[in-house]
Amino acid sequence: MAEHGTVSIIINGVEHDVPEGERLITAAERVGEYIPRFCHHDKLAPVGKCRMCLVEVEGPRGSALTTSCTVPVTDGMVVHTETDVVKKAQEGILEFLLLNHPLDCSVCDKGGECPLQDQALAFGAGESRFIEEKRTFTKPIPVSELVLLDRERCVVCDRCVRVADDIAGDPLLEFIDRGSYVQINTFPNEPFSSYFSGNTVQVCPVGALTSVDYRFKARPWDLESVRSVSLVDSVQSSVDVHTSRGKILRVYGAENDAVNEGWLSDKDRFIFSAFRSPDRITTPLVRDGDGFKETSWSEAVELVAMRLGGHVGTEVGAIGGANGTNEEAFALAKFMRTVVGSPHIDAQLGDGLDPHLASSITARGTISDLDAASTILVWGPDLKETLPVLYLRVRKAVRNGAALVVVSPYSTGLDSIATHSLRYRAGSGPEILRKLAHGDAGYEAVTETLANGPVVALVGRSSITENPMLAEAVAAFARSLPHAKLLPLLTRANVFGALDMGLAPTLLPGRVSTGDAAGVSLLEDSWGPLPESAGKDTMAMLEALIDRDLVAVILAGADPIRDCPDPAVAESALDAAEFVVAFDAFMTDSTRKAHVVLPAALWGEVDGTVTNLEGRVQRLRRSVQPRGMSISVSAALDDIARAMGAELGAADWQLINKEIAAVAPAYAGMTADYLTFEAGEEGAVVPIPGATQPLGHIPVEVNVPVVTGRFTLHLAPALYDAGVLVRNSHMLEGFADPGVVRMHPRDAASLAVADGDLIDAEGVGLPVKIDPEVPERSVVITRNLDTTRGIAASADIRVETVRGEP
Amino acid sequence: MSWFADLLGPFRGFAVTLRQVTRPRVTIKYPDEKRVKPDRFHGRHVLNRNLDGTEKCIGCELCAGVCPAKCIYVRGADNPPDNPVSEGERYGFVYEINMLRCIFCALCVEACPTEAITMTHLFEMSTTNRDDAIYTKDDLLVEPDGTPNHPQPDSKLIDLNELKIGDGWMRATSPSGRAAYAGVVQWTPSARTGALPAERGQSGQVNDEDSGEETDG
Ligand code: SF4
Ligand code: SF4
Ligand code: SF4
Ligand code: FES
Repeated sequence: MAEHGTVSIIINGVEHDVPEGERLITAAERVGEYIPRFCHHDKLAPVGKCRMCLVEVEGPRGSALTTSCTVPVTDGMVVHTETDVVKKAQEGILEFLLLNHPLDCSVCDKGGECPLQDQALAFGAGESRFIEEKRTFTKPIPVSELVLLDRERCVVCDRCVRVADDIAGDPLLEFIDRGSYVQINTFPNEPFSSYFSGNTVQVCPVGALTSVDYRFKARPWDLESVRSVSLVDSVQSSVDVHTSRGKILRVYGAENDAVNEGWLSDKDRFIFSAFRSPDRITTPLVRDGDGFKETSWSEAVELVAMRLGGHVGTEVGAIGGANGTNEEAFALAKFMRTVVGSPHIDAQLGDGLDPHLASSITARGTISDLDAASTILVWGPDLKETLPVLYLRVRKAVRNGAALVVVSPYSTGLDSIATHSLRYRAGSGPEILRKLAHGDAGYEAVTETLANGPVVALVGRSSITENPMLAEAVAAFARSLPHAKLLPLLTRANVFGALDMGLAPTLLPGRVSTGDAAGVSLLEDSWGPLPESAGKDTMAMLEALIDRDLVAVILAGADPIRDCPDPAVAESALDAAEFVVAFDAFMTDSTRKAHVVLPAALWGEVDGTVTNLEGRVQRLRRSVQPRGMSISVSAALDDIARAMGAELGAADWQLINKEIAAVAPAYAGMTADYLTFEAGEEGAVVPIPGATQPLGHIPVEVNVPVVTGRFTLHLAPALYDAGVLVRNSHMLEGFADPGVVRMHPRDAASLAVADGDLIDAEGVGLPVKIDPEVPERSVVITRNLDTTRGIAASADIRVETVRGEP
Repeated sequence: MSWFADLLGPFRGFAVTLRQVTRPRVTIKYPDEKRVKPDRFHGRHVLNRNLDGTEKCIGCELCAGVCPAKCIYVRGADNPPDNPVSEGERYGFVYEINMLRCIFCALCVEACPTEAITMTHLFEMSTTNRDDAIYTKDDLLVEPDGTPNHPQPDSKLIDLNELKIGDGWMRATSPSGRAAYAGVVQWTPSARTGALPAERGQSGQVNDEDSGEETDG
């Protein structure tokens, strides 16, 4: 008898112990018996559509052909996968599939990596008896702007439909017609506009669904594959980056069950097209009148070193560092604290959370904790728009029975599957929190749901207009829930890595508080004396620049004019600054105000490690050479430090990586070697065994004021906004909304405006969209669009009808 | 007697020479004269065209994939529907062969699904620098009327007519399409060169409209 939780089955005469309840096809593969398949996919529900996986299973009435992808293993099951009957069935099924499948492998993007080709070779009859005409459809038809469909290649496996329906929750693909003419299609006038459409290309077992961008770019044998991480958001999905001749040609999701389970958002998948944008900065630039002139690295480095060296350390600040690797962030933190001697560093731009809460919260959960949760509480940004892969994981948990409570000032992508979806007027979050905590009348059902542990709470700022202390209060409440695990949500790519590397005024590398005397002196042992004064955060730095308390600032991939809550303040701060040096790959509103712009390599072009929102460190691998003269921020800082007469030890990412493991307590032992040889491709959550995390932030109940005012503002984040990479990606630009002011019908009535009327929102003219999803006396505007980016992120907003309109 | 034999020695030796005087000559005045090569001679490649002037190559990179010397570089591009370059959905917009690396094995010819690349009887390819040994699409592709191209057409060594002779035979498995021959190596007459007729295809009828009617009936 097999041990507990496993059953014993006999495959081709050999006995195996396999996990109970597993599907036969998976169990057989686990023990080395590969059964061919088309419709079966580990992450999708079984459908038994293609019949390719037929095997003989012995039963009381003799053996019968059974689809191994639909039957769970049972104890004592006797299975044959190689009998003549099975062979005949496989050959027959393949012959059937090939009746309608064109022989255009040589012009098909899947050719060379196609399960149908491979299995026809391995399990097919070898020769065809078919001499008749094959069916033909007009091809290719676009099902979305990113995906093309060649219907005649489809083998009707249902994978794309299941990905769209079950995984992504966008049921926009369906089979139409019957028999020979069965085909996949979209609904009339409804394109497959899903944030996850690229996944269908990856799972399609033939070349029926192909990517618009990759079409005919290369063939599989041209490609080199590099396992890396998508630095698009803080989930940091695992990806395989496929390159050829020094160019990234496509990005595929890599199986990492701890993070993304192979899925990607379209932003993860297609953003790389920005890397080859003609607008990349490729040489160092120095200010020349109103414009810039190109210069050499050595001259730029000399200039930056001279200008930074000419100021007292504490007059210099650094903003950014959240889009690069941990090594780059660490080099910046060390450069500021030792070479420059300034405590003013911040990876967030006033749009995030308290660094202690984000980096070092106690009872921090992991993404896979969601799988085991009975209840999930989401109180933060709309996951679908900000962390789409995490949204998929929450969906999966709900599909498997978890209850979901969503609290938000506006409708979110998760509302449709939420057990309870609570809406509050932007700015009145504290009120609803109090009601929830006290179980007020009307909230009993929600509190009852929340009392059912284990609870995983995803806590963040629903938008930049929300008071960041609300997240602290929500975290404190969530912590009181049974068996609660907390996942603080910040969205910027490697912001958690940057905070862990000490890119915050109140943090030192390795989750040490600047107030922790022992931690400070430990770091001083290797770094020398640290600046004594307290550090300023981004908003304080910008104010200080205006007040001339700060005179120089380093922007490391940061664009405060776009991203900080008050664009006007950021703009005057950068105007007032005596010296601004920006590391960036593209010209932004802020880099245009810099005195020196240094070309920074993007994430496909550098090596290093990164940390995601659960604290998981993964290896980020270089797949192509940096564009032009771009180099990593750390290498540039190393040169600048040397020109200032100091040694930063950041010439090579591996040197920095070793130093992190040596001086950052929570990262002790977390070296690239550890990731490669011990943790494997899943990465590992810090602190790993043997390391300790000095700071453990316990969220406290804080009293957060409720915002009053005629209209409160919710600046809703959107996946496709006018962010610098989206803007420069020819695949994704143009997907952004045009930008509207959403308001409740009653508010629209009180202002006497109708849908489409122009309205003045804090000086910006935008059309009105009447939307009953918006709570009364509140307006919702999508953030960072070309039309809406001038709007300051204040908690309340002045909205007026435009006078003089005809 | 031995002195007499010694005296005749030189004449004996000349006997061989004298016998040859009457026989036909085997040396030829290369390059003014050239030998006819054997049928299956593997010489320089050409890229063929269809009768309508479009290119046969569909940029599938199978030749590049199979080449043991890795000397072919192909990149495909979308075939513009209003002004098609090839007959397929894609065409080879970059096509290069590095003749310094090529071992003239003809595996590329065998792999090509469209008879786009074939080999000929011209073997003169010496150049004075390495760059010239990389044949680009312009050098390889025949003109719409089937006339071949050569990077040094005026060279004394080059007989362009040799580029019009295909290499005769190529290796294939089961050319008859019969299951009994699966896996058996046979030889099949290889493609000719120049502008060639297309293989038999489908009728070109599109079934989009059929769908619906078929199921209703
Ligand atoms: S399009 Fe591809 S994934 Fe979708 S049903 Fe057809 S073969 Fe399957
Ligand atoms: S003949 Fe052989 S070596 Fe030469 S290009 Fe063709 S496949 Fe390559
Ligand atoms: S020559 Fe033939 S095998 Fe090579 S890319 Fe063109 S069509 Fe394909
Ligand atoms: S894999 Fe089992 S029926 Fe398709």
